[in-house]
Amino acid sequence: MSPASHAPMFVREMGLPLRFFLYVLLCLFLLALDARYAALSGLRAGLNAVLHPVQMVLAQPWHWLRGAGGFFLTHAEVSAENAELRQREERLRADLLDRQALADENAQLRALLALPPRPGVMAVAGEIQAALPDPFARKVVINRGEAHGLAAGWPVVDAAGLVGQVTRVFPWTAEVTLLTDRGQAAPVQNQRNGLRIIVSGQGYDSLLEVRFLDAHADLKPGDLLYTSGIDGVYPAGIPVAEVVRTEQPRHSPFARALCRPLGGVGQYRHVLVLKPEPVAAPAQPQKSSPRKSPEPRHAPR
Amino acid sequence: MPRAEPGMSKPLLPQGAELVAPPTPTRVYVSLAAALAATLLPWADGMLWLAPDFTLMALLYWSIRAPRLAGLGVAFLLGLVTDVAAGVLMGLNALAYCAAVFVILMLRRRLQGFDVPRQALQLAPLLLGKEALVLLAGLMLGLPQADWRWLAAGLAAALLWLPLAWLMDRLTGYTRVAAQGEAGPRVRV
Repeated sequence: MSPASHAPMFVREMGLPLRFFLYVLLCLFLLALDARYAALSGLRAGLNAVLHPVQMVLAQPWHWLRGAGGFFLTHAEVSAENAELRQREERLRADLLDRQALADENAQLRALLALPPRPGVMAVAGEIQAALPDPFARKVVINRGEAHGLAAGWPVVDAAGLVGQVTRVFPWTAEVTLLTDRGQAAPVQNQRNGLRIIVSGQGYDSLLEVRFLDAHADLKPGDLLYTSGIDGVYPAGIPVAEVVRTEQPRHSPFARALCRPLGGVGQYRHVLVLKPEPVAAPAQPQKSSPRKSPEPRHAPR
Repeated sequence: MPRAEPGMSKPLLPQGAELVAPPTPTRVYVSLAAALAATLLPWADGMLWLAPDFTLMALLYWSIRAPRLAGLGVAFLLGLVTDVAAGVLMGLNALAYCAAVFVILMLRRRLQGFDVPRQALQLAPLLLGKEALVLLAGLMLGLPQADWRWLAAGLAAALLWLPLAWLMDRLTGYTRVAAQGEAGPRVRV
């Protein structure tokens, strides 16, 4: 490209339509590589590593604004919140003691029954940086990445329930596809009767869907759905959704249920990334092997 | 005055407004970088679909005024960076940017003759078409769904063309031929 801003006297370059055609071919080649073979993850990670500091700097004024808003809280508000948090912490600690006893008992019972131990989890705390301007998927970026030991496929939760799954990992950030994305699904279990179903996203923030439900399945509004853990991706027992409405089949052989996600999908700023980690086996020898570490549900796009 | 005689299609040397306020590489690339930074800002989650594509607007502005500085190559590179920032398939925005800049380069002589509001009217289908092209191409490549609200970003960009093109004209000291209020059509072919 010539730095001159006017036309050269002697034109010796390809015509505009031909250049456009070549660029279109190049774009289509890149699209095919990325969509079919996921061959461009290195290029994407590299460009992302360059863009990340720029985005950090651009987001800094917003952080300062938010910090300035928090600075002007009154003393009374802070002390009231502190008292409430203390109470909650004591309650949680009491629950935790109980939980430890239950976990020990469960491990002993599993050892007696010669069952493989339940997979444990290790958590990495992260903060949501931004929502991605992607018209095709519901995704957010968190400030934890390969440098913090993350890998694609790990589940992401918050204080209230399941949020989504890590789908792409960059050097310092990771891309989390939310549970409400249309391509996401989670195997769940009804807390009331143990019914196993699959909950999928719909593309809306406040709605999940059970797409192919048996017409006689025992599912009522108000039922709580927890992850069942049978997919090997999401550990068992994470709250996922509450059933809002069930619809009887009209034009298809299947019923359908609508649910409200329990995790603050698209609301909270702090999340936990769970690292699936097998628990150490009990003392006595076991025949069945522990579960393998989970793999991503689908290849990251 | 960059007044073209009927017989002479293109002057060999820059003349008139182009000579007074030439589109220097610094101006072009700094404004393109600023526009890219505006799209990289942490926009609110609920507003993302309405956020106009500032990068494309700056690209179109400069490919009308300085096609030798901001052409297809720059459009392709900026598109790739936008793809990575948005987390979409590599080449999706690059394809849309290249197509938009190609149309602009074909219509450049006509677009130069318009003042800012008429230019916004001419560019509205293009800005809207870019959003539609991205959504349709994504659907054709097998992505499960597209959020059609994003078409509104094209309309927002067309509306924002009025203040932003005016601002860019002021910042770079550019006077439009059609804005000088002379009688008769000023369209150069």
